[in-house]
Amino acid sequence: MFIKPLNVIIPCLGLLLSNQYATAGPMGFSGSAMTMGDFNNNWRETFINYAITPRDAFGVSATYMRADDKSKTRTLEEVTYTRLLNRWNMPHAQANLWFMGGLGMLQGEDKQAGNDQSFDKIMVTPGVQFDYETTRVYFAATHRFYRASDINHDYSAVRTGFSFYETEYDKTQPWFILEARNMNGLSEKIEITPMLRFINKNFFVEAGVNNSREPRFNFMYIF
Amino acid sequence: MKKLLFTSLILSTLLSNVAFATQTIKANVNGMVCAFCAQGIEKKMRALSQTKDVYVNLKQRVVAVELKEGQTLSNDTVKDLIKDAGYEVTSIEITEHPIAHIKAGYEATEKEAK
Repeated sequence: MFIKPLNVIIPCLGLLLSNQYATAGPMGFSGSAMTMGDFNNNWRETFINYAITPRDAFGVSATYMRADDKSKTRTLEEVTYTRLLNRWNMPHAQANLWFMGGLGMLQGEDKQAGNDQSFDKIMVTPGVQFDYETTRVYFAATHRFYRASDINHDYSAVRTGFSFYETEYDKTQPWFILEARNMNGLSEKIEITPMLRFINKNFFVEAGVNNSREPRFNFMYIF
Repeated sequence: MKKLLFTSLILSTLLSNVAFATQTIKANVNGMVCAFCAQGIEKKMRALSQTKDVYVNLKQRVVAVELKEGQTLSNDTVKDLIKDAGYEVTSIEITEHPIAHIKAGYEATEKEAK
């Protein structure tokens, strides 16, 4: 009873606070390879992509998704394309609009009383992300379609946060990040995760515990 | 003999001044707010054979590239590399100060501001 209003209020607060935002994008600089991992009990994703131009990257991705009640599991392997659609470089801020898309094979398993089903389908995953960051604040909003025939696992996420203090370029900067996200057809609730983020010029890591008291860990690394 | 020694001394002084002259290209950059994202600028600059050292200051929005002795680098090359890394150069200047001097100057300014 008390949890439901919180599930609505906290993401709204995140949106209200997000008139200024900041983070690392879904690809590195031209000629670099970037790897990323995002792990919790119901969502485990890892990808690597290579930026062939300052605006385009190709890669591969593997994602495991599970329903809250464990009745459905999905595994997706896809080839991905990331495109920086627009970038706004301001004196003390940067904003980006990204396209992210993939094409791959989905393996699914639905466990229902007396009627377990498994299937393989082709899945497409086009999406967009907008992010804005300064050295002190960060915001990102993402929506990505996860579609196959008779399957809709569209993903939406909003993130906002602030850094505790500014640091020099070669020092590690700690951030507080609050994320709200949902995956259609797998979870009825909005997952809220407060996280601590540490950004260094060489690495990017986040760790937190969500509103189901499950741990979460993310990382990014550019080669 | 004295004249020869004097000439040699003058020449060696002049040559040593040329040999030890430092050239640093300092660019003001828009959009540079995250160290993880800005690492591309540093990596691209360090990959140049002319580069001796690179300094990035996010707060001051500055990228400085100190060149090896006798090396040159055009402003356009610096601008293009920074643009390739995803950022925008708003102004660029060449100074004879080494990076250590530039860094110390910014640190002093930031210390005073606190």
